[in-house]
Amino acid sequence: MTETGRISLILALIVAAYAAIAAGYGGTEKKRNVIASGENAVYAVWALLTIASLGLIYAFLTRDFQVEYVFNYSSRSLPFFYSLSAFWAGQEGSLLLWAWLLASFSGLVLIQNRHQNREVIPYATSILMLVLLFFLVLLVFITDPFARTPNRPPDGRGLNPLLQNPGMIFHPPTLFLGYVGFTIPFAFALAALVTGQLGDVWIRSTRRWTLFSWFTLGIGVLLGAQWAYVELGWGGYWAWDPVENASLMPWLVGTAFLHSVMLQEKRDMLKVWNMVLIILTFGLCIFGTFITRSGLISSVHSFGESSVGSFFLGFLILLLGLSFLLLFSRLDALKSTNRLDSVLSRECSFLLNNLILLGAAFSVFWGTMFPIISEAIKGVKITMGPSFFNQVNVPIGLTLLAITGICPLIAWRKASSRNLQKNFLVPLLASGVGGVFLMVLGIRHFYAWLSFTISLFVIVTITMEFYQGTRARCRLTGESAFRAFLTMIGRNRRRYGGYIVHIGMVFIFVGITGSSAYKVEKEVTLSQGQSFQIQDYTLQFESLQSESDSHREVVTALFSVRNDGEKIGLLKTQKRFYRAPEQVTTEVAIRSNLKEDLYAILEGYDRDGNATFKFFVNPLLSWMWIGGGVITLGALISFWPERRRRKGQE
Amino acid sequence: MTGQRKHVRFAIGGLLILGALVYLVYSGMQGTMVYYLTVSELKAKATDDSLYQKGLRISGKVVGNSIEWEPKSRELKFQIAEGATVLPVYYRGTRPDMFKDGADVVVEGKYTQEGTFLATTLLTSCPSKYEPADGKGSSSAASSPSPSDT
Repeated sequence: MTETGRISLILALIVAAYAAIAAGYGGTEKKRNVIASGENAVYAVWALLTIASLGLIYAFLTRDFQVEYVFNYSSRSLPFFYSLSAFWAGQEGSLLLWAWLLASFSGLVLIQNRHQNREVIPYATSILMLVLLFFLVLLVFITDPFARTPNRPPDGRGLNPLLQNPGMIFHPPTLFLGYVGFTIPFAFALAALVTGQLGDVWIRSTRRWTLFSWFTLGIGVLLGAQWAYVELGWGGYWAWDPVENASLMPWLVGTAFLHSVMLQEKRDMLKVWNMVLIILTFGLCIFGTFITRSGLISSVHSFGESSVGSFFLGFLILLLGLSFLLLFSRLDALKSTNRLDSVLSRECSFLLNNLILLGAAFSVFWGTMFPIISEAIKGVKITMGPSFFNQVNVPIGLTLLAITGICPLIAWRKASSRNLQKNFLVPLLASGVGGVFLMVLGIRHFYAWLSFTISLFVIVTITMEFYQGTRARCRLTGESAFRAFLTMIGRNRRRYGGYIVHIGMVFIFVGITGSSAYKVEKEVTLSQGQSFQIQDYTLQFESLQSESDSHREVVTALFSVRNDGEKIGLLKTQKRFYRAPEQVTTEVAIRSNLKEDLYAILEGYDRDGNATFKFFVNPLLSWMWIGGGVITLGALISFWPERRRRKGQE
Repeated sequence: MTGQRKHVRFAIGGLLILGALVYLVYSGMQGTMVYYLTVSELKAKATDDSLYQKGLRISGKVVGNSIEWEPKSRELKFQIAEGATVLPVYYRGTRPDMFKDGADVVVEGKYTQEGTFLATTLLTSCPSKYEPADGKGSSSAASSPSPSDT
């Protein structure tokens, strides 16, 4: 079966190359049958990569340890779902997943555009296939997922226990959906440059792809944070590790792009800028993959130094170079018709949104790449820890939050003072009152107070939008409030879906603020039976027990938890000692509610049964995950197609 | 407002924002910069006085049988080495899961005039499973906390 897999990969490489050439040639010479042939080749590539992927899955499920990749990432005792998710546990499989997703998306794009965009599609297809070709070259020549060893080992090395966790089943594929998804608007953008079709057709055609990619990338980042929180067990969810940053940067620039294209659609502005943004976004997606693949910046996450890294760097440079060259050659054709009229305008708030997001992306880039830059210039690697990133990004984030509230309130083109007074009065008053109230409650930490107050401002703003919209509709149609509310959203999915996404972002800000500014941490050694107090919780160390089986020994510390004297449950934190391969992991205990998380880590213990623990109380942390859910709802609404779709649009 | 004046206004606004960003980044860097050195590089710079003020990050391998762990006071003393050069380290805090003889560690903290490294952060990683063809395999096949990432 692995023979089939490898042959499929080689064939896919050849066919993809053909597809790229045929589509490009057919498009240039306007030969419809050549284009059709190229498109069919795309479907063929998809079929071949599906066969290859199934081949790898088959190898995992049949425990074919002679395949090196299967040997490295699974074992006989590995449960079914993890034997599947082991597919993307390492480099070769991850690249195959990338390739398969890109082939799938390419096929989907072709089907979507059967009757539209016929001038642009051949070039977009060609570009998509060229990107795919890069991954196929890697898979065929450098990182073969089907490489075999001469002898068949009796058992595999097994999957790292840290990866045997539901979060790890979803986090990498979700991120990939985002990375690969951004290839589509990128390809269309370049195709638009080539064909000279520089209106907003390319934007409208790929709007849902952009939204989909932005959403999956964002959720992927959030899932990674959740995994770190639950599995890595150090009490936090984000360490500004280079690989974490690598996934955040394309998301930040992608968010800027998502907003900026709205401005081109509504006001025919920022055409060149939008091109730059999508090139940067996609470039950062590749760059993110590159940072993870190379040992460039020593990171807890790196797969070790690998030659694949230099290939990625080469590809990235080629990609960026050619894209910007193409853009430069078409600059005259990209003149926008409208200009910014006033600082006090919605256009300006969009622009600020972009500048701020890019500022954040730049600072993350700077902090992440500084070791490389300093080594190149000064000869010594200088790193900057989490405090740099936090110090820089907190003010940036808060400014962004404020703009999120201001934008819907301020008028297009130029806000009159009447408009300003009318729209801003209630939200400003409400947040002013709220701010005072918070201070009375004891919130004195400056940034936390600011964050909560601005969050309130945004929530009030959005609530008013929903309220006023519903009320207007009620008056117009006489519908009940509930029905009017739903129909209003249904008729304006992009707008209200967007507002809901913003609410979700506010929740995330609230969660981050609470858990950062008001985190309580305590480290203590306890003997069995001893009690310990943290905030309102009284924890009694009930027992320390050990259990052994064939592949691991587990030591469990059990606590009974009381809150304000009332018994609320038990907490279990463990150390797991795996025998082969030898590894130790810590399972933390988390008790969450809307107010806070109680978090316990078993750090160590001695023969007498005394154990050392670290406890955290993380206020408001659950709101981060709730925010993720709300964003999902908002994105779904924004994505949902209208029932009547005019052909040629979207 | 004339086009000219408007453009100047916007340009100034843009520059202000850029300036604010540069200032943020620059001030963020002060006090958070940590110099990444190997054990030998550290020893070589021992005569440089400014070395003792800087935040330092040193990587090395834990020397066999050098680990002294006192659970009650949570004091960890050990030595890390790069080739023949050895550096004694003192750390207060949790003993990490993967910390043992021969492990690759990264310590962050300050270097003292007495020649001991006072670590505030200790990061361990076992030799990774994901080594390229030439650097294949080390005694421990386990890998550091690393998500199967993109």
